[in-house]
Amino acid sequence: MANAGNVAVGIYDATKRFGRTTAVHRANLEIRQGEFFSLLGPSGSGKTTLLRIIAGLEDPDEGRVVIDGREVTGLPPYVRKVGMVFQDFLLFPHMTVGENIQFPLRMQGASKAERDERLAWIAKLLHIDGFEERYPHQLSGGQQQRVALARGLISRPALLLLDEPLANLDRELRKEMEVEVRRYQRELGIPFIYVTHNQEEALTMSDRIAVMRNGSFEQVAPKVEVYSDPATAFVASFVGHANRMRGRVSAVEGGRARLDWNGVQLAIPAVAGLAAGGAADYFVKCEHLRVAAGSEAATAGHNRLDGTLRDVIFKGQIADYIVVLANGAEIVVSEAAGLPRVKAGDAVAVTWAPEAGRGFAAEG
Amino acid sequence: MVSIQRILHRPETRFMLLGLPAVLFVIVFLLLPIVSVIVFSFWRTESYEIYADWNLDNYRTVLFEGTYLTFLWRSIVTAVIVTGACLLYAWPVAYFIAKYGGRYRLLLVLALAAPFFTGAVLRLAALQAIMGPIGVINMALGLIGLPPIEFLMFNRIASGIGIAYLYLPFMVTAIYLSLLNFNFQLLNVAKVNGARPWRAFLTVTWPLNWIGTAIGITLVFIPCLAESITPTFLGGPSGKLYGSVLGLQFDQTGTWALGSAMGVILFAVCCVVIGIMWLTINLKRSGFTGAGR
Repeated sequence: MANAGNVAVGIYDATKRFGRTTAVHRANLEIRQGEFFSLLGPSGSGKTTLLRIIAGLEDPDEGRVVIDGREVTGLPPYVRKVGMVFQDFLLFPHMTVGENIQFPLRMQGASKAERDERLAWIAKLLHIDGFEERYPHQLSGGQQQRVALARGLISRPALLLLDEPLANLDRELRKEMEVEVRRYQRELGIPFIYVTHNQEEALTMSDRIAVMRNGSFEQVAPKVEVYSDPATAFVASFVGHANRMRGRVSAVEGGRARLDWNGVQLAIPAVAGLAAGGAADYFVKCEHLRVAAGSEAATAGHNRLDGTLRDVIFKGQIADYIVVLANGAEIVVSEAAGLPRVKAGDAVAVTWAPEAGRGFAAEG
Repeated sequence: MVSIQRILHRPETRFMLLGLPAVLFVIVFLLLPIVSVIVFSFWRTESYEIYADWNLDNYRTVLFEGTYLTFLWRSIVTAVIVTGACLLYAWPVAYFIAKYGGRYRLLLVLALAAPFFTGAVLRLAALQAIMGPIGVINMALGLIGLPPIEFLMFNRIASGIGIAYLYLPFMVTAIYLSLLNFNFQLLNVAKVNGARPWRAFLTVTWPLNWIGTAIGITLVFIPCLAESITPTFLGGPSGKLYGSVLGLQFDQTGTWALGSAMGVILFAVCCVVIGIMWLTINLKRSGFTGAGR
């Protein structure tokens, strides 16, 4: 990892329990200066708790938190100098937009002149100039979210924490804000830690992603790596759209293993932990599969599954081809829409290179 | 000829029929008494008889003969102190119930009304049994060899405590109901943004719950001003308040006209208090969404 001076936030062996459940279990994480970092996971995975530990809204039962080289473990939130944007915007309803945004500066005792100067700057950056005198309820959801962002950023905090800030916006606006948020992060150079359960959001915006499950990290890596080289079966199934094939490993030789999946023999890349006789999950992303008329021959060395095309779900640029195999299993293939050579009811072959997917020794 | 049926089915008729009870209520129980009191206050009573000759003597007596103003002033001071005490005591109680009461919240609030399960007189007798010369507190002090506390009975402090005890539930309930609608998450927002706990309270919690608090203040202050039973039982000779003196005009001296004038003045003071409370409320700043664009 980068040298210590480059670390914006360090979390070391942080554990947090609520009653009997362990929300965060021995988390270790270093986030670099200027980085857009996402905590991705299903609800209850501990990502929000971890964010609240960084903010100081929760104290870890064990472990340490370091922000900008300063140990802040156990310090209250109001001395940590972090910004935070919450899911429900949580603007102060009794204050105008301007007062909301200036709140952190007012708490720091900044002069009126400085507060006004900063307000003008951030309002312009976030395209909310002209709204300063309004009250939050007079704004649209997107405008409220910008105000919340402005409030989080106005004091130029050491880092900005974002707790599912776009979850309450409609899809169109969310897409737009994803790009905007990323732009603000680049322009300001402040590290952002972004909590989301939405993999598309995480993939669109982040530099690195930590995938969380049951309070632990499954994988912490650059986003492309998380997507294309998942470290665990959970990551493989949670990020992107993948077909899962569970079977028994019949042989391991060289870099390949053979997987017996419902009577079909598949070649999969061998990884540590895969042994002949053991159960394994093999994940291959829908867009890595190719569908062709059943008569076409597969490329040598590729896996091939024969079945019947049940349905084509048109999605615009691409379409999902649902193929029912002889063994009854369904495979989803994402390919360019309107492949002229296949239609529903046809006998088709699904093919792919074994290395396009990832195999993992089955859990439990 | 329009039949009665048709008339009954007209929207205007229905409106009038439905509105009648409310209008009657306001007229019979609100307007008539006030008007009659105002009228009486300009009349004259003599030997338990009331005469309709119009004059300002009653007001002259109340406003320029020192005793009545003293009682009024004493009532106002008592009301201010009692309201302040209730406010200080009620906020933490309401806050605790709203934040940590969980599913027992409603039960806890209802428990606050427990003093009202018995009559006012019994309630005051209970207070006497606690604070009186041979009450629980002084007996306990005697048992451990300490002198009794005398200021707890038959003076203004005692009647203040009694009144505060009586009206505290109103204050707690008003603040509690306000806090029910308060989003405690906003305090986390304030803290993350650099507000220490007291600052967060003063800049977020207090202004967003001011309307509820103002209602609580009014609900305690107004009846406090007119309070008469409590000082009679607990106040002793020095604890007599405006309300007790007002009561005397009706049930003992028979000077109804003077009593009416006292009532009108009390009414005016109450209106001023409500006006002041109203001025402190800025709907835009209350956090009520949709209010005043």
